[in-house]
Amino acid sequence: MNRKFPALGLAAVLTLAGCGGNLGSDDSGSTAAYPERAITLLIGQDAGGSTDLIGRALADPASTDLGQPLTVQNRPGANGAVAAKELAAAKPDGYTLMVFVGSLAYITPLAVPADQAVDINGYEVVTGISQDDFVLIANPKTGFTTVKDIVDAKRPITFATTGVGTGSQLTQTLLFAQAGVNATAVPFNGGAPALTAVLGGQVDVAAVQLGEAKEQIEAGKATPIVTFATERPSYMPDTPTAAEAGYTVPVQQSRAVVAPKGTPKEVVDRLRASFQKAFAAQAYRDFNDQRLLTANEVDGTALLQQWNDALKTYRDLVAQHEIDLAGK
Amino acid sequence: MSSVLSGFAVVIEPENLLYCLIGVVIGMLIGVLPGLGPAATIAILLPLTFGLEPVTAVIMLAGIFYGAQYGGTITSVLLRLPGEASSVVTVFDGHALARQGRAGAALGVAAIGSFVGGTLSIIVLSLVAPLVAGFALDFGPPEYTALALLGILLVATISGGGRIRALTAAAVGLLLATVGRDDFTSAERFTLGNLSLADGLDFVPIAMGLFGLGEILYNLEDRHRAIKVPAHVANVWPSRADLRQSSGAIGRGSALGFVLGILPGGGAVLSSMAAYALEKRRSKHPERFGKGAIEGVAAPESANNAAATSSYIPLLSLGVPANATMAVIFGALLIQGVTPGPQLVTEHPELFWGVVNSMYLGNVLLLIMSIPLVGLFVRILRVRATVLAPITVLITLVGAYTVNNSVFDIGLVIAFGVLGYLMKKFGFEPGPLVLAFVLGSLLETSLRRSLLLFGGDPTGFLTRPISGTLLLFLLLVVLAPAAQALLHRRANRQNQLDWANRQDQDSRMSR
Repeated sequence: MNRKFPALGLAAVLTLAGCGGNLGSDDSGSTAAYPERAITLLIGQDAGGSTDLIGRALADPASTDLGQPLTVQNRPGANGAVAAKELAAAKPDGYTLMVFVGSLAYITPLAVPADQAVDINGYEVVTGISQDDFVLIANPKTGFTTVKDIVDAKRPITFATTGVGTGSQLTQTLLFAQAGVNATAVPFNGGAPALTAVLGGQVDVAAVQLGEAKEQIEAGKATPIVTFATERPSYMPDTPTAAEAGYTVPVQQSRAVVAPKGTPKEVVDRLRASFQKAFAAQAYRDFNDQRLLTANEVDGTALLQQWNDALKTYRDLVAQHEIDLAGK
Repeated sequence: MSSVLSGFAVVIEPENLLYCLIGVVIGMLIGVLPGLGPAATIAILLPLTFGLEPVTAVIMLAGIFYGAQYGGTITSVLLRLPGEASSVVTVFDGHALARQGRAGAALGVAAIGSFVGGTLSIIVLSLVAPLVAGFALDFGPPEYTALALLGILLVATISGGGRIRALTAAAVGLLLATVGRDDFTSAERFTLGNLSLADGLDFVPIAMGLFGLGEILYNLEDRHRAIKVPAHVANVWPSRADLRQSSGAIGRGSALGFVLGILPGGGAVLSSMAAYALEKRRSKHPERFGKGAIEGVAAPESANNAAATSSYIPLLSLGVPANATMAVIFGALLIQGVTPGPQLVTEHPELFWGVVNSMYLGNVLLLIMSIPLVGLFVRILRVRATVLAPITVLITLVGAYTVNNSVFDIGLVIAFGVLGYLMKKFGFEPGPLVLAFVLGSLLETSLRRSLLLFGGDPTGFLTRPISGTLLLFLLLVVLAPAAQALLHRRANRQNQLDWANRQDQDSRMSR
């Protein structure tokens, strides 16, 4: 696939794009013509999940601007670590990108051995994408409507998480540690089963992503208690944030487009410009509204700052409250 | 009721109709071909369904399963060569009838019996599954623990082959299910530091390897088998006397097949054998069986189709696969982003009713096709294994790659293909392994979740009504064979005593 083709006119290059000709190689200064062929966008999660949908929603408008297809490829495994490893080994030529989830950079390292933690600083961040907020919900039968209700109940409670090393686990563990509630974590595999466990009264509460709980909250089958957002999300003006309730739990899921370390600056800038245009597309903005996602379309430097800060904050909080995310 | 009707609307969408037809034709085809079974075929074709809507994919895969039950009959009757394990007993009387020049009658009765059995099962399935779904939210981790335990145990004890071998295979399956990062502590288990194993072994390459590649390799061993030229089939419509004679057998076979199909580990093979045995025992002239009794064809063929359909009940209503083929379909649904379980009927009504209603249609298609196409299907048997096997292997490996675009998965398929071949060679069925693998992670995570919920107190399983009932049933299943054996021994001893007494009396009288 890596056969070299002689330089041809732009039109011919476009038709050859699908064949995978490797024009404008890494050593020459010909990046002005970037991109000359299809770009692979790795996604470390299963097809159909939130991250996958976000990646696909972006790939379409971005490829229009780039004039080359952005081919989405799912490489699920270990919360994206499998895809991140593949990305790290890819040529830093701008033809392999990845949608990186924040939890892999700033929550998973708290739960897995150090040699398996992925360091976001080993990559080139093209742009931030958006943030997902978590909401704590309760089964209406518990009678819980505020964190105070849970504390005042003075009984051990159970809470569902969407898995070990996820934002769902971190938010609730931090909240209950700070509130002094005797709470047992019950990990489920993803948002939907955790939600079902609350609806069926198998557990008292769960923290899931806003978009996942929206329908059940509107139907009155789940009571929202607090969100873990920095400010009240516009779709839930009556639900306080954890900070308003008096707890320090600033946890969000975040996503970014990332390239291998050493990708030329011109290429990163070109990509960022295209993603900026994609963010502005009406279809993409509608998608964000519908999924209750908050835009976080910052540049690479700002994103690295956010994520590195988050990792440090969580490390400190987890140490301060003597929490072990990897179970007792 | 409206959801039932909208299910029919889903079925008659041209795309779904087409895939239903494709499914039943492929099913009949592999039913005719000895060796490659429905589980293998569905496993091999899994990657092809990714581009399809979930409902379309499952309609096609379901068609393969019940289509194979029809196809298996054809070769049993004409060639004394059962295409499917579930048609083995059909050989006895079906082929005897063919030798008497009544192959047509046997095939006709089998097709009608299959249709009746399948249709009755679908009707009950339509009625029962929504009832179970009413309890959907009551199914928490403890209930799933009990279900998974029941499923694994029944599969290991009821399935064909030796019980020890089945249990061994199931134990290996349970062990394989533990590979990967622990869901509760994220500790690495048997991952050998390989990130590709962090989320555990993927179900698809295991199924494709064990069922697909393993069967192909195994079949290569008897490629020198001479293919007999089948007898010409004339007049496929059974006579009125045949129909009258077999109507009772069709009814009983359908009912028996339905019940056995629901039970985990039951399914088509067991039910066809049970139905045959029942007819033989009930008959006033059991000596006719094996010499061309039409009931001996009607009963097992109705039963295997009824069972093929009713085994969807535990899958679609509880999310527990009852046999190996259902385990593969379970995997297909997971890949499509649909988790089978009590919520399926309410959360994906179009999927549930679309699939169920497609079965009515598929059975009609099969009834129409099976009779005129008999000659064509028989001719397929002449395709040599040397042509068929490499093509199938290629499809399998390419398919395995496309699931996750992972070369590692191809390696897995080959490794499990070799394992599957060796298992078959040494008399182990791969079915219990695959089922235990699927249910193993469900069992482990549900058990640990339950214990977290109960605060470590295992009596919690017994005090919840649904899990308590299931565990009671489990106890019965474990104790039943033991009790049976005990009764048998006592009865034997009684007989011996009687016999001894009589001898005694005889000798006394003769004195």
